[in-house]
Amino acid sequence: MTGPTTASLREVGPAARGTRPDEVVIAVSPAFADFFTRTIVDVPHAEVLRQVMAGVEEQGVTSRLIRVWDTADLAAIAHTGAKLSGSGICVGLLSRGTTMIHQKDLARLSNLELFPQSPLLDAAVFRGIGANAAQYAKGESPEPVPTRNDQMARPRWQAKAALLHLKEFDRIRAGVKPVEVVLESAPSLAG
Amino acid sequence: MTTTLGPADYPLSVRRPDLLRTPTGTPLSDVTMAAVVAGDITNEDLRVSPETLQMQGEISDAVGRRQLAENMRRAAELTAVPDEEVLAIYNALRPRASSRQRLTEIAERLESVHAAPLCAALVRESAEVYEARDLLAPEGE
Amino acid sequence: MTSTLPSSGAAAGPRTSKRTEMLESRPVNLDGFVEEWPEKGLVAMESDFDPAPSIRVENGVIVELDGRPRAEFDFMDTFIADHAIDVDVAERANAVPSDEIARMLVNPTVGRGEVLDLTRGLTPAKLLDVVKLMNVVEIMMAMQKMRARRMPANQAHSTSARDNPIQVAADAAEGALRGFAELETTLGVLRYAPLVAIGLQIGAQAGRGGVITQCALEEATELDLGMRGITGYAETISVYGTESVFVDGDDTPWSKAFLASAYASRGIKMRFTSGTGSEVQMGNAEGRSMLYLEIRCILMAKGAGVQGLQNGSISCIGVPGAVPGGIRAVAAENLVCNMLDLECAAGNDQSFSHSAMRRTSRLMPQMLPGQDLVCSGFSAVPNSDNMFAGSNLDVEDYDDWNTVQRDLQVDGGLRHVRSEEILAVRNRAARALQAVFAELDLPRITDDEVEAATYADSSADYPLREVLEDLKGAQSVMDRGVTGLDLVKILERTGFSDIAENYLQVLRQRVSGDLLQTSAILDADFVPQAAINDANDYAGPGTGYRLTGERWAELKRLRHVTSAENPEEEVS
Repeated sequence: MTGPTTASLREVGPAARGTRPDEVVIAVSPAFADFFTRTIVDVPHAEVLRQVMAGVEEQGVTSRLIRVWDTADLAAIAHTGAKLSGSGICVGLLSRGTTMIHQKDLARLSNLELFPQSPLLDAAVFRGIGANAAQYAKGESPEPVPTRNDQMARPRWQAKAALLHLKEFDRIRAGVKPVEVVLESAPSLAG
Repeated sequence: MTTTLGPADYPLSVRRPDLLRTPTGTPLSDVTMAAVVAGDITNEDLRVSPETLQMQGEISDAVGRRQLAENMRRAAELTAVPDEEVLAIYNALRPRASSRQRLTEIAERLESVHAAPLCAALVRESAEVYEARDLLAPEGE
Repeated sequence: MTSTLPSSGAAAGPRTSKRTEMLESRPVNLDGFVEEWPEKGLVAMESDFDPAPSIRVENGVIVELDGRPRAEFDFMDTFIADHAIDVDVAERANAVPSDEIARMLVNPTVGRGEVLDLTRGLTPAKLLDVVKLMNVVEIMMAMQKMRARRMPANQAHSTSARDNPIQVAADAAEGALRGFAELETTLGVLRYAPLVAIGLQIGAQAGRGGVITQCALEEATELDLGMRGITGYAETISVYGTESVFVDGDDTPWSKAFLASAYASRGIKMRFTSGTGSEVQMGNAEGRSMLYLEIRCILMAKGAGVQGLQNGSISCIGVPGAVPGGIRAVAAENLVCNMLDLECAAGNDQSFSHSAMRRTSRLMPQMLPGQDLVCSGFSAVPNSDNMFAGSNLDVEDYDDWNTVQRDLQVDGGLRHVRSEEILAVRNRAARALQAVFAELDLPRITDDEVEAATYADSSADYPLREVLEDLKGAQSVMDRGVTGLDLVKILERTGFSDIAENYLQVLRQRVSGDLLQTSAILDADFVPQAAINDANDYAGPGTGYRLTGERWAELKRLRHVTSAENPEEEVS
């Protein structure tokens, strides 16, 4: 058996505007699969990306990965990705797992779907998010991905979420443009 | 002859009901179920009058609550401003929502149309601060 | 790994003891705890990165505040300097050593007014410097003297996971009967608001005349419902301690101050909301401690002339709750609210811990000394129905709360009520709402629903409503401009004269403006009780609010108490 893998995102150049109308951009935050390797509830970032990409692909749509460097604001990340996306649709991801589906013609502070409760996002939800993003890209109107609510998420996770957010802020590179990245998974050294 | 109200007059509804009238001039003592059923009371009657807010402001001042008293006096001015305009002014005071010119116009209108100098002063003050803190609407908006 | 190391069966890693396994499984270990990071503001109240107090006044204007010259003021500094701090006493007050002010706060022979004469001139850093000297017992001592109203009170949430207006009405009626002075609701589906707000108001007046209600919504709709007389107060007017977070919330101190005047101009009671942790949670604490930033919020509220503030971390409680000394800081923020002579709706209103012991200890600093509103949302519905995302207390805690009041002889604003009385008001609230819906041609409330409301615990115990029909009805309530007065008339002519009369009495308060004064609530005789006619006069043992006489006799009652006269029976 192989152990868990850590994602590594290799930069391949500046993120360009996509030309294919059948692509969804997946935009990740500065510390995603970099300083951080897992979401707030330990879903490996490699797994997050694989699930979102698989969700997109199962709808017959392609995905393209970018990293946004100059902000850790999810709406800004997702909106930046949407403007670079051939279809205008983007899935934005923060390191802790908070996710948003955005569309380029919406106001920055608006969105198509927001998943604010990062502790409740598991592999199945990430796959559903990818599938929904792809359906928006095809011009369809999918049912929003069902989300759960948990009143006890606050006492357990609120402070850690704040801490992760502060760390994410620390990795911002002001003035650096978004870059295109590819996922390279390697077996983890941790056993 | 008028005397300044103080804590002994509070609550006005119990201690000084004689002083209380609705904005339409109905004494509070006439706001009864019988009057409601007879259709003599409208929703407009169930609002506070500027005079009452001034009286409450006097009481606030008398117990050492300067800022609360100031708010009562601004509120007295706003009783005359229609609901939609109140909400529009509030929205105009949001960050980067208004140019300096627009805020000045609002202040002037508050003063000249609504006789609301205290509210006008608050709006003018906001324009000063917003300019210093780069919170006016971007040019051209 | 070698086979000679101790092993704990299936689990990998070093073997642990049964004791450790037991402790690991305790609910408290489901709570989250983090280390401090003061540089980023992830620290409760003791940070080297907070400014030192300073003030300089020239020609009646504050030209330096906490080490910052006027030219460098952000908008919070400007608003606080120009509106909140009383310039005439500022230099004198800030010159008094902090330990002297802290001792005045706990010394019962120093009156509340004497303390206020200093605190009205203090800067944010000076206020922080004072409360930093105080441990949690001293903070409670000070709260007992400094809270504005003499008699403490309590507030509840009445919401429904299905936004069911009949449930909200029945639970509001029960909550009112149990003693809450204020009831608030909010929605899952916002368009349900008019029906749920009507349910809340009618339920409240069916339970105990004079309880005031509010519906937490965005500002415009909240103000609209208030102006129609469907709700009676407002409190979800958020303010923040840094300029950047304030702007992110699309407001400024001036927009909020204007809103405060707007509410007062319609005779509607209002308070602001703030709390420790909100700024660091949003990543913009500017390197200041949570309490320092909260003190700026409290001063901002004071400067706006709003009568009170809901604080005590509120929806950010998980943040101070996770750092060392965080719950002490939350108590200190309530105290500063009291020290600035504002009504304090003191928190204890959001899910806080998995541990029953921690939930209780978190509420002691407000419950024992008393607050204007000890909870700013005890959940009067099961937490699963709480649309404010769950409270620190819910209906499961009613009997515990009543027992703690009896044990410690402390008035937390509630009382035990016998089951048949509760069933009666729940039934009456539901029937009144049934009549109102029928008269307004809203989707019918069936007798089955009334029956369910009488005996229910949670939303799962009610027949399902036709949601789309209800939403159409809700819209028609707004379109037709239905007012509180219309509801009074309907109640009067459909045989609910007592509820109609109670409701009319509440509406009459808008004419008098009495509820606009600090800490005002309505007692059962519709007499406004504010920090004027019921001002806190604590001056040491034997003074101030004491739980005695009829009220104490009432709080001695519990669900099961063995009769002294006949130990084979119970009294309740």
